[in-house]
Amino acid sequence: MRGGLRIVWAAVAMIFGLIVLQGYFLDLEPLRAARTMVLEWAVVLAAAALLLGVVNLAAVHLSKIGAQEKGWAYSTLLLGALLVTLVIGLWFGEESQLALALFSYVQQPVEASLAALLAVSLTIGGVRLLSRRRDLRSTIFVVTALVVLLGTGPWLVGSNGELHRLLGDARAWLSQVWAAGAARGLLLGVALGATATGLRVLLGADRPYGS
Amino acid sequence: MGLNDLLSIALLAVFVALLLARTGAELRWPTTLRTLPAFEELRRAIERAVEAGERVHLSLGTGTLIGGESGSALAGLTALSQIAEVTLDSDRPLVVSSGDGAIAAASQDALRGTYARLDASARFQWTRARMLAPSPFSYVATLPGMLDAERVSVQLLLGHFGREGALAADMGTRQRAFVLAGTDSVPTQAQFFATADAPLIGEEVFAAGAYLGASGMQRASLRVQDLLRVVLIVLIGIGTLLRTLGFGL
Repeated sequence: MRGGLRIVWAAVAMIFGLIVLQGYFLDLEPLRAARTMVLEWAVVLAAAALLLGVVNLAAVHLSKIGAQEKGWAYSTLLLGALLVTLVIGLWFGEESQLALALFSYVQQPVEASLAALLAVSLTIGGVRLLSRRRDLRSTIFVVTALVVLLGTGPWLVGSNGELHRLLGDARAWLSQVWAAGAARGLLLGVALGATATGLRVLLGADRPYGS
Repeated sequence: MGLNDLLSIALLAVFVALLLARTGAELRWPTTLRTLPAFEELRRAIERAVEAGERVHLSLGTGTLIGGESGSALAGLTALSQIAEVTLDSDRPLVVSSGDGAIAAASQDALRGTYARLDASARFQWTRARMLAPSPFSYVATLPGMLDAERVSVQLLLGHFGREGALAADMGTRQRAFVLAGTDSVPTQAQFFATADAPLIGEEVFAAGAYLGASGMQRASLRVQDLLRVVLIVLIGIGTLLRTLGFGL
């Protein structure tokens, strides 16, 4: 029975995958309509899955609160915030002043702060890299990053000097010639890897949807 | 249907034909995978974690299961089964997180399927695979709490990550966990190079399943990718030469 179900799930994944894939190549009205319909179903299912994800998230934090695990106070805060946001969204609407204020004054500043932390994380990461992996690749990486940084922004003093101009030219050469070429090479590999992964799913060899 | 569409179909058909042919040949002439230090280090780190009763965390990224970002998440989901299998004997089995409801549901299903296959359904808990938060930066904001509470000592980032990926890797490092990180986004790969212990470059994220001991077709697909890459490089070289010589393309 279980083996039969596995075949059914694999067949469903393959059929729907092929319906979506053909839409990229064949410009025929019935096929286009079928592809649009399948994608619309996928969007609805993804929204339902998001709801399930939120329920799962709430279940994780409720169990943490119940067991008084480490960080349970944060879980209480999270569930409280989830409930308040949900009530405001359902009662006043997601485009109401209150909901927009929550987004503008809570979520956006938090995300902006984290984005700002990125610069610090990357700087520390660069320094740690030299102590963790002392090899040629890491040295080239850090030196290139330094040249690009110094050649991009203005300096406190000497921004009009010859050295700044030289570093600016080096930055342009590195980013437009070496980095762009390498990125295209990497993208080629990523595209082939993604295609191979997709094809393995379509052929039923990879079944990331369980059994 | 234009020339480009026909070429794309032909390329896909060649890809599938080579994949099937190579998979058939895999039994007689198995593919020998070149050593990737990242996966060697990962194997050792997982062994240490299992022996020490510490947790392995697999993050499937902050992308969605619909659209162009899904490839790396599917690669992560494929690796999930193998990692769940090797961590099953640990006192603290694998925990999986993602930033998308659909990926979370798929990871729960994959985890449940693996445990059932290994006759360990009793050990499966739905909360072992979870959605941490629905947006990229809120995902990384909740990550340190989870890493700390679950006593994670090995963190794998296999999925789509944007700028937040560097923070996710950095948070693992701050937790003193071994961090292996791979994604399909090239700028994020550069960030992982600086912040992860074992960064995966280029298409290595898609090879995770094959390197962690998966099916013959996964190994075969690495061979086919290598072959097609060489073909594409030759074609690009010919195109560049023709263009340099003044032939319009």
